[in-house]
Amino acid sequence: MSKKAKANQVPRRRFLKNTISATGAALFAPTIIPGSALGLNGAVAPSERIVVGGIGIGNRGTYDLGCFLQQPDVQFVAVCDVKERRRVAVKKIADKKYGNQNCDTYRDFRELLDRDDIDAVLIATGPNWHATAAMTAAKAGKDMYCEKPVTKNISQSLVLSETMRRTGRVFQAGTQRRNLPHFAFACELARTGKLGKLQKVFAHPAGMQAMMSGWLPSEPQPEKEVVDWDMYLGPAAWRPFNKKLLDGFNFEKGGGLVGGGVLEWGSHCVDLCQWAVDDCLPPVEYNAPKDGELVARYENGTELIFREKGWIPLGSCPVRFEGENGWVEAGDSGKLVLSSNALLAGRTVDEIGGYPATYHVRDFLDCVKSRKQPKGNADAACNAHIACHAANIALHLGRQVKYDNKKHEFIDDEQANRLRSEALREPWRL
Amino acid sequence: MNISHKFTCNVVCLAALVFAVVGSVSAQDNSSKSTEKEKELIAVLRSDATAAEKAISCKQLAIHGSSAAVAELAKLLPDEQLSSWSRIAIEAIPGIESDDALRNATKSLEGRLLIGMINSIGVRRDAKSVQLLTTRLQDKDTEVASAAAVALGRIGNDAAKRSLREALAVAPDKVRSAVAEGCVLVAERLHANGKSAEAVALYDEIRKADVPKQRIIEATRGAILARNEKGIPLLMEQFRSPDKKMFQLALGTVREFPGSQVDKALSAELDKATSARAALIIQAMADRADTVDLSVVLKAAQAGPDAVRMSAIDALARVGDESCLASLLAIAIGENMDLAKAARSTLVSIPGEKVDAQFASLLPSANEKSYPLLIEIVGQRQIEATDELITALKNSDKNVRTAALGALGKTVNLKNLSLLISQVIEPKHPEDSAAALQALKVASIRMSDREACATKLANALNRLPAAFKSNLLELLSEVGGDKALATIGKAAKSKDPRLQDTASRLLGKWNSVDAAPVMLDLAKTASEDKFKIRALRGYIGIARKFSMTNQQRAEMCRSALNAARRPNEQKLVLDVLKLHPSTDGLKLAIKTMDNSKLKDEATQATLFIAQKLGRQRGNIAKLLETAGFEKIKLEIVKAQYGFGATQKDVTAVLQKQAGDLPLITLPAAGYNASFGGDPFPGSVKQLKIQYRINGKAGNAVFEEDAIIILPAGR
Repeated sequence: MSKKAKANQVPRRRFLKNTISATGAALFAPTIIPGSALGLNGAVAPSERIVVGGIGIGNRGTYDLGCFLQQPDVQFVAVCDVKERRRVAVKKIADKKYGNQNCDTYRDFRELLDRDDIDAVLIATGPNWHATAAMTAAKAGKDMYCEKPVTKNISQSLVLSETMRRTGRVFQAGTQRRNLPHFAFACELARTGKLGKLQKVFAHPAGMQAMMSGWLPSEPQPEKEVVDWDMYLGPAAWRPFNKKLLDGFNFEKGGGLVGGGVLEWGSHCVDLCQWAVDDCLPPVEYNAPKDGELVARYENGTELIFREKGWIPLGSCPVRFEGENGWVEAGDSGKLVLSSNALLAGRTVDEIGGYPATYHVRDFLDCVKSRKQPKGNADAACNAHIACHAANIALHLGRQVKYDNKKHEFIDDEQANRLRSEALREPWRL
Repeated sequence: MNISHKFTCNVVCLAALVFAVVGSVSAQDNSSKSTEKEKELIAVLRSDATAAEKAISCKQLAIHGSSAAVAELAKLLPDEQLSSWSRIAIEAIPGIESDDALRNATKSLEGRLLIGMINSIGVRRDAKSVQLLTTRLQDKDTEVASAAAVALGRIGNDAAKRSLREALAVAPDKVRSAVAEGCVLVAERLHANGKSAEAVALYDEIRKADVPKQRIIEATRGAILARNEKGIPLLMEQFRSPDKKMFQLALGTVREFPGSQVDKALSAELDKATSARAALIIQAMADRADTVDLSVVLKAAQAGPDAVRMSAIDALARVGDESCLASLLAIAIGENMDLAKAARSTLVSIPGEKVDAQFASLLPSANEKSYPLLIEIVGQRQIEATDELITALKNSDKNVRTAALGALGKTVNLKNLSLLISQVIEPKHPEDSAAALQALKVASIRMSDREACATKLANALNRLPAAFKSNLLELLSEVGGDKALATIGKAAKSKDPRLQDTASRLLGKWNSVDAAPVMLDLAKTASEDKFKIRALRGYIGIARKFSMTNQQRAEMCRSALNAARRPNEQKLVLDVLKLHPSTDGLKLAIKTMDNSKLKDEATQATLFIAQKLGRQRGNIAKLLETAGFEKIKLEIVKAQYGFGATQKDVTAVLQKQAGDLPLITLPAAGYNASFGGDPFPGSVKQLKIQYRINGKAGNAVFEEDAIIILPAGR
């Protein structure tokens, strides 16, 4: 690991110290900038506030919004949604928080992005929109917290990374597990060699299916003000209105391949596996699934294994990292299981702690001010998503594919290469 | 050939189609299959198939199509519904035919469809389109002109660059931002290809143009980086800019900037900046770990405005070394509490083995003020200094002794664990007991040989004062392993009610299947019913949550049913069988139906498990028949859900769920969720069903959320 890469991480001892004292979870704030330098001491002057707008705030987005609204230096001023019901609901939340009626509502997010007073946006649309909205926001000069899965295909992942770099924007993928103490601790053990040479990292895909998006029978289309169907479809190829498609969770998240658990869950736990292998480039080889496992291999030989069964019951979205000298497994319960208590270095699992997800939002806001790269930055998100997309392609084709990280293409495999990208519906572009 | 119908069935019926993954096939094998597939797909496009069928065919042609498919695909480009589907394929299919098709389409299309063609041309970087796009830069539709500008930027050759430069000066306001975006894309490519001078010239042109600030930011970033070291003055100019956005640009760009010259410039800039900005500049300096001037950061930590000192102290945690310790220690025991806290934090985090060595060497000569702090740091950094810490245990100051115990907890090895055990059993200062116990806990759960550790602790159990025995059991449960389990199991059967209580509670939350036999034994032999119940519930919990074979789980459930004396636990066992449906579990559920007190629950569990397994599997049907459940023909005639006169027709829902068993499982949890909402909030509703089983009519009524088992004449 380069010195620069090290500098961008929470120092190990700081991490350990923080986890030691994390019985009061707030002590694990991943902030590396003193609060006083960020205007967090006491009341926050208007000039130091981060003015935020929301794009597509549904169930998950409302949770995120709650995290944002808890932060003293956030002023949430506007919401955009193609669904009237959600526009109204989010405005109500924001207005209640501030005791006024000032939260503006928009149907077209480009109008929200046109506002000079907005510094950052929370993007929590369905996955169909994530990458396109994020890149449009970046070009409009906004920093952004964007829910996952962030991209629909490999090409979008690469363009996302390149766009954030070119525009100089701060991008945080909604991979909040990077700022949850127990997951961060598990990754830290793997990254710092405490498990010995890393051999296998496991991710739970929760359903290995690669699906193609489709077309449901036409139903009467609501008024544009109620549901703007054209904007809802956005970059997805046209199809008639059908209310079942309004569930963004199941609509067009993987482009050519809708992407079942490999992408949906992978954007959570493969992302952690990527962190465990020190955010290196994605695996170079992906095999067809066999007996509930899809095995991918990094250039250094470490295996990334999508595994359906065999997990210790530690809650959803588990990961497991195995090295020559030990292993650790963690899940959404906030708990860890380790091969040896010695790995805990004197703490208990309870002391390390697991929540809340507010840390990830705080990390983003601090980076908006410092311009440091947050934990779920675009490069990290790009690599994790490429791993998911490539695995999905192996799954879809039912055979091994090999990926060249320098050329960003599958080796001698035109079918796989054609699944790297997908045309966006007009007028949208990346 | 009726391909259309075939695809209707296979591809378009539902929103998504799961493609079966069959076997393992090589990339080469697929090429001949693709040709055949392509022919079928082209035939769909040529047929009178529905738009839906054609759309999905386009998507598949993106994988299987060749230039042979382009002509048919191109016919769909003017179709508002199918244009984007067609482009999905055309954009993916290599060859000039695809480029030609997109170019030709631009001649006749306008508005959004035209923009789609232009965007795809940009993605394909079709150099032959530069002239066409250049013309479109002047399109009266500003969205079209903007798309052309970005497409030219993506193509990025000399001709495209020329067109964009010319447009930058003359393009209308609404187009100029996209032209600048195109220019930035070209400049990025030039810089990446080593043509930095050309890139700089283009970036500078953009910076001078009347374009939105974000374009200026992008161009300024590029202009700084493309100039390499000559870009440092421009970078520093941004650090001094009154414009917050430009200052932020500088903070981001300096983290990307190569070489060490910029670190010197940053150091000079620090003195000129306001304290708020200086604090942020220091963080950026520290993120340049390869080249940061440590002396500058250390100096900033030692004196100056508090905000800057705080930032510098924090930064030293990442980039500091042993040369910083004296200063940080002085701050850490100083009077400014905020700075002291930050310095303590940094002293724990600052990296390096030399730092550890220096801390250890400072311990013997520490003064009264720094002694407890140094001990604490030694502990937190896990520096081996046992002898020094034992000396500290004799100190008259309780704070020193507490710190030493804490540090020993974090550093002592297995051999010296008895040191801490002694401190718990026979403390020289009784007020140190709690700290000693906490230290012992920290040390014990850290030990890699947990069996050896547990043995030492178990041996100490009898020597401990009664008040501490429960604490030691808690500690053993944290350590885990066979010895710990056996010791706690033994304590659970002791004569001391307090130990029984603690031990049975700890067994109940034991996180491995190893505890199962111990808990089953306790469930049968514990002295009090409450401990038996607690142990049994823990045993059932293991069967519920841990991975094991179906046979093992069924066997555990059988043992639990035998041990259970109350319906509550018996029902929990049936829940486990339902949660993990298996043939072994089904057999047990059927056997349990013989228990008259559990008959209803066991019947429901039997049907539930059978339904999950499916009759077709193995001997399920035979097992059910043995239990008196014949395969039935169930027809739902009518079903209503509601209260009083307010009734909702739920016939269709139940008809869909009905199978060949008298059990009906609903699609969601609860009646209201399954039947599309609560028809009469605030009242307990009823579900009334008219049905026929094997042609024989019947009626049944169920209270809200009751399990639906129809009388089947068993």
